[in-house]
Amino acid sequence: MKLRLSPQTLLVLDAFLEHADEWKYGYDLSRVTGLKSGTLYPILMRMAERNLLETQWEASEPGKPPRHMYRFTQEGLQFARANASAHAGGRLSEVALGLVEG
Amino acid sequence: MGAPRRLARALLGSVLRLAPEESREWVLAMLRELDFIDGEWSALLWALGSTVAILGHAAKGWRKWITRRKDSEEGKMTSTGKKALGFASGALLALLLALSGVGLVQIITVLFPGLGLQHLHWPHFLGAIVIPEIIFVVSAILLWRKRTPVAAGILLMGIGIGIHVALHLAMR
Repeated sequence: MKLRLSPQTLLVLDAFLEHADEWKYGYDLSRVTGLKSGTLYPILMRMAERNLLETQWEASEPGKPPRHMYRFTQEGLQFARANASAHAGGRLSEVALGLVEG
Repeated sequence: MGAPRRLARALLGSVLRLAPEESREWVLAMLRELDFIDGEWSALLWALGSTVAILGHAAKGWRKWITRRKDSEEGKMTSTGKKALGFASGALLALLLALSGVGLVQIITVLFPGLGLQHLHWPHFLGAIVIPEIIFVVSAILLWRKRTPVAAGILLMGIGIGIHVALHLAMR
């Protein structure tokens, strides 16, 4: 299933490619990409529905509410890299070509 | 905790209670992030944006549900239940049209007493029976090929109303 590659989606893919193996939080992604929650979460939801993202609740200490975390699936990483080469010139492509371990 | 953050928390709490099952995990995720947002107004903006996102997500789910339902109903077009539903819809539409005709004439009579419609019979015949019956026949002919049960419902209700009016006149 394809994901519409709007500039905002590319920003999110870009943010995920940065240390792609690490789990990321919604608010941190919002700060990194500059996207508001109303824009960011629909993108995250679509990516998760298309199996490009895996989600997990952070195991936290008692009394502290867990946070939802997101990370690329293998499929997501491949998708982001493929689109990085299609959108050459941005940070997305730089990261995909050299800085991300896969 | 300031008022904007309290409002943000209350808003997302309400969304969590009202959200469909498939959206709840996401609402909870957005709610949890509130604790990490610096600034009261930023928290409120976060909650507002999140609410919009969840509304969109829920709307997408409803659209899918409606589309699935529509598709499955179209698949059953030939079934007896569908035909019965079509027939009943046609009959109901015809009845509503006839009642609207009667109502319209009554309203005009009350609103414009100067027209003297209360003393005339033909406007009542025209509004309550002649015009609706013409509409019934024309719509039944137009719908017969594509929506036969609906057309049959309209036609039968039209005949029923016609008989009713004829009997009413005969008894007077």
